[in-house]
Amino acid sequence: MRLLLDLGWHWVAWSGRAVCFLWDVLACVVRGRIRWAETFRQIYEQGVHSVAIIVLTSFASGVVLALQGYMAMSRFGAKEYISHLVGLSLVRELGPVFTALIFSGKAGARITAELGAMSVNDQVLATRALGVDPIEYLIVPRMIACFLVLPILTIIAEFVGITGGYGVGVLEAGIPGAFYINQTIRAIGYVDFWGGFAKVFFFAIIIGWICCYQGYSTSGGSLGVGKYTTKAVAFSYIFIILSNTLLTKIILTWWG
Amino acid sequence: MIEVHHLYKSFNGQGVLEDVSLQVKKGEILVILGESGSGKSVFLKHLIGLLRPDSGSVSINSWDITRMTEQELLRIRKDMGYLFQEGALYDFMNVFENIAFPLREHTAFDAETIRMKVYNILKLIGLEGVEQKYPAELSGGMRKRVALARAIILDSKILFCDEPTSGLDPLRSRNISDLLHEVAKKLHCTTVVASHDIQNSLRIADRLALLQSGRIVAFGTPSEFKISSNMFVKEFII
Repeated sequence: MRLLLDLGWHWVAWSGRAVCFLWDVLACVVRGRIRWAETFRQIYEQGVHSVAIIVLTSFASGVVLALQGYMAMSRFGAKEYISHLVGLSLVRELGPVFTALIFSGKAGARITAELGAMSVNDQVLATRALGVDPIEYLIVPRMIACFLVLPILTIIAEFVGITGGYGVGVLEAGIPGAFYINQTIRAIGYVDFWGGFAKVFFFAIIIGWICCYQGYSTSGGSLGVGKYTTKAVAFSYIFIILSNTLLTKIILTWWG
Repeated sequence: MIEVHHLYKSFNGQGVLEDVSLQVKKGEILVILGESGSGKSVFLKHLIGLLRPDSGSVSINSWDITRMTEQELLRIRKDMGYLFQEGALYDFMNVFENIAFPLREHTAFDAETIRMKVYNILKLIGLEGVEQKYPAELSGGMRKRVALARAIILDSKILFCDEPTSGLDPLRSRNISDLLHEVAKKLHCTTVVASHDIQNSLRIADRLALLQSGRIVAFGTPSEFKISSNMFVKEFII
């Protein structure tokens, strides 16, 4: 019982500190204390360095979706609908969620490890000692970069995934290219696209918040950096998947 | 002037500082001596407001910094320099960018003035030609000198140094200590140094304080320390 109470108290304290941390970040943003040069550097670091892995995984996802769809739909003589399956799956669900998961494993882990190493080497403390707010200098640029980069990566992932599906549809299933493209455009409606895309902004906040907070509160030397980085990625995955369930329900209820 | 009154600090119920009180006069060099784990670094962090005490006060030029908000502290820290034990240089910046950082943050100097100031200070610390190197490419002694340069680049009138000679060979320790003394006297800095390097401390200090288990057990000039009858002081000096 005592252990449970301690654990509960630990979680309450941790959540409280995390909320205060987010509050400090938002206060900086609202007051316009944004360092754009550092933000653009972070956009480059997080965005450009994640493009290759996002392209590779989303292309593979599109190909696999199309291959499985082809196998299943051929049985019913409906192979022409592969484009619907690939397009809708990617745009409504797989594109945003896969991209967020891969981004948190790539850029999110990098953010936590970078900030964690700075924390254990006293560089965060040194920032305060030099009269500079570490939230403004180190955290805000990383979180804004997350918020701007993830939606762009999602668009790229969806486009590349659909291209992968197109390849299978045309080369494997023998569907005419123009027909495939036409079907895809007709399949994906405004609600389908925005219903999936809106979730990306929530995921970006979750990844930025969790990874920056874990990095900022890292302690315990190099072991601590490993521990907090693993925690950051694991928490990001859990919260992305859980929030996706909730957001999907809300979006389906409101938009259908 | 720095005044510390009845400072207490504990971590997880473990007392680290117990009723520490002292004064540092304007322009003097005070060295806080003590064994590893005696609370020197924790004490130093209280002087610049990086840690908050459980009770007691720290006044710098009559401002009680223990009552200030973090934003107020950030403002007054612009007038102070802090040399961290391991230097705490930004590893994503080269030497030039590290030293120029406080100038870029807190002054309106143009790029050419900043460049001149950085080159002048590199000359002062004897590290010309390393400005493009990254901290990982420097030796421990060089890193400490660069960190010292970053700490004094704004001509701060208050300087805190945490173990400036730890991990260095005797020759490098002596060089760093001499450099610290030279800089402090040249800039008329009120300087507080935490150290367990007794020989160099006796050479550079105007006064010394000896911490044992979070309490000050001896306070005085180097000559008073040398003739002290306190057993711990004697053991420490030998």
